[in-house]
Amino acid sequence: MTEPDVHTLTGPYVLDALPEDERVRFEAHLTECTFCSTEVAELRTAAVKLATQVSTPPPPALKANVMAAINDVRQLPPQVPVVEPGPRVRRFTRRSVLTLAAAALAVAAAGGVAVDQYRDRTAAEHANQQMAAVLAQPDARTVHGTVEGGGQATVVLSTKADKSVVVLRDLPKLPADHTWQLWMMDPANKATSLGLTDGDLTRVINGSTTGMATFGLTIEPTGGSPTPTLPPAALVPLT
Amino acid sequence: MTEPTALPWPAGSPGRSGAITDGDLLALTAGGDTAAFSALYDRVSPWVFGLVRRILRNPAQSEEVTQEVMIDVWRTATRYDADRGSAHSWILTIAHRRAVDRVRSEQSSADRTELVGTRSVEVDFDQVADTVSTRLEAEQVRRCLGTLTELQRESIELAYYNGYTYPEVAQRLGAKLPTIKARMRDGLIRLRDCLGTTKGQS
Repeated sequence: MTEPDVHTLTGPYVLDALPEDERVRFEAHLTECTFCSTEVAELRTAAVKLATQVSTPPPPALKANVMAAINDVRQLPPQVPVVEPGPRVRRFTRRSVLTLAAAALAVAAAGGVAVDQYRDRTAAEHANQQMAAVLAQPDARTVHGTVEGGGQATVVLSTKADKSVVVLRDLPKLPADHTWQLWMMDPANKATSLGLTDGDLTRVINGSTTGMATFGLTIEPTGGSPTPTLPPAALVPLT
Repeated sequence: MTEPTALPWPAGSPGRSGAITDGDLLALTAGGDTAAFSALYDRVSPWVFGLVRRILRNPAQSEEVTQEVMIDVWRTATRYDADRGSAHSWILTIAHRRAVDRVRSEQSSADRTELVGTRSVEVDFDQVADTVSTRLEAEQVRRCLGTLTELQRESIELAYYNGYTYPEVAQRLGAKLPTIKARMRDGLIRLRDCLGTTKGQS
């Protein structure tokens, strides 16, 4: 977001007064704007005080309902791993690595990573919380890259926690018989598949992060490939 | 708040000078402690219900959403991060969003525009739960709201108590969109400064 007034959205945001599309964009901006995150936390603390003006005890029967209901409600675990199917490890050739390196072009500022701890209802919100858990790591960092043909790839990673979050946005549509495949490459040029996707996604990767040097995105035949097909659609150095 | 003299959970639980905070209760709730959750319910449910009721107006819906919010607090307590705000703030944020989501999904914009003409945004001070600390805090908030400009206060109240989006607020008040966005922010900043709140406080 580059609108000059983006910072003033902290006010409407904490009042839940942003229309849905603007809220999503602002939450993405929040991940990159420390000033905004701090202000959101402070203004939210002030905003919730408004509830003191309308405090009303609920009917007593409501508590019995709630206490009975929680017996049947499982609490969320502190962190939810989303483990991809068994990683397949293959070796890039020296030549292919050079080709890959040459393909690593401009690093664009992009991303759709929301870090709001309050939402947990839809799958997207669930993913947001998982991303927040990665972002909360002291060594968390974010890298961006452009995708050949359009779109952005963003990786948030913590080598300490050996976790990362891959966000793919605005990917071009592929022919029906092709799929996107995600990879991590280590410095010794070994590629590990992170899985497949038909289009935009936000995915938390447990493992396959520590010791990796580059994130790669390739176009593969439906079902994926044991090794990356070159040239890659995106290559994002993790350092 | 009336503190129970005998607590059903260990006295060694984290808390400043022996007082059990909402954050402590939430931490115990995250560990599956239903007694702690019960105590937390007693403390926060008047705020949650009052807020939800104010936004939704419909009593049956308000009870339903309050129940959803409190179950959500139980379910997601493990995800609460004390570094990012107080337990009180966390719970009321969940409540506000749930109520606003409900009002936006179930009532058309036209319905709400009609409603606002017939209801006041004046505070229902008589309904404030009858505890001393709550009453003092409510009075402080009311005093601080009085320091805002009329446009700041109306913008904030229409959004917070009625669940309006800022374009709806702008239309209602006959103001430009950037003006309303800015008034919401500078009004909240003034409120924050008046209340002396920082993110770490409840």
